[in-house]
Amino acid sequence: MAAPQSHTRQMIGSLVVALLIVAVAVGVVTAKFGPTSAAEQEAVEERIKQREERLEERRELLEERREEQ
Amino acid sequence: MEDLIETLTRGNPTEVKVVLASVALALAVYQVVLISVAYGKLRPPFLAGRPASQAHRAVGDTIAVVLVVVATMCVGYFGIEDDAALHAAAAIALLTVLALKILVIRRWHAMGRFLPALGISVWLLLALTWLTSAGDFLRGS
Repeated sequence: MAAPQSHTRQMIGSLVVALLIVAVAVGVVTAKFGPTSAAEQEAVEERIKQREERLEERRELLEERREEQ
Repeated sequence: MEDLIETLTRGNPTEVKVVLASVALALAVYQVVLISVAYGKLRPPFLAGRPASQAHRAVGDTIAVVLVVVATMCVGYFGIEDDAALHAAAAIALLTVLALKILVIRRWHAMGRFLPALGISVWLLLALTWLTSAGDFLRGS
């Protein structure tokens, strides 16, 4: 029969292993996501919107020129 | 509720939910090892049955809290969608069996002989719930 002190140590050790498992799981899953935070996605969407607006303006300009000719 | 979840997760409710569910699954795998030591199926020289059993209880309580948080986020933010029927059914079954297991551990000691079966059921239902949501999401990301 092991001493109670040894049991406490083993219990704490088991919980430390559990914490390590949590840290590894969080790390692995977060790494899998990559840069997909809401802020970055919003920035990407904003860039796409700006590009579409520029294209639209260019198209309108071309049409105006064509009509003038 | 949606606003609260959105604020707490800083606009990443799906990602936070997937991380929490994955942590619960990883800890559930560890739980199998701990309970195997507690029942004497595994006998590592560095871990006795009693501390393994106590650690199993502590980690199990943590998993239960994490699962309740994930379920609340899931229902509160996403609701129950038709195309996730298997996920919803597995999750409801998981929480029911988990509640029953906690009841047997804390109050209904006469049913203690069913604990291994309940534990295996919880593990399988957790794996199915994870596979039909977080697993799908991670495969797609």
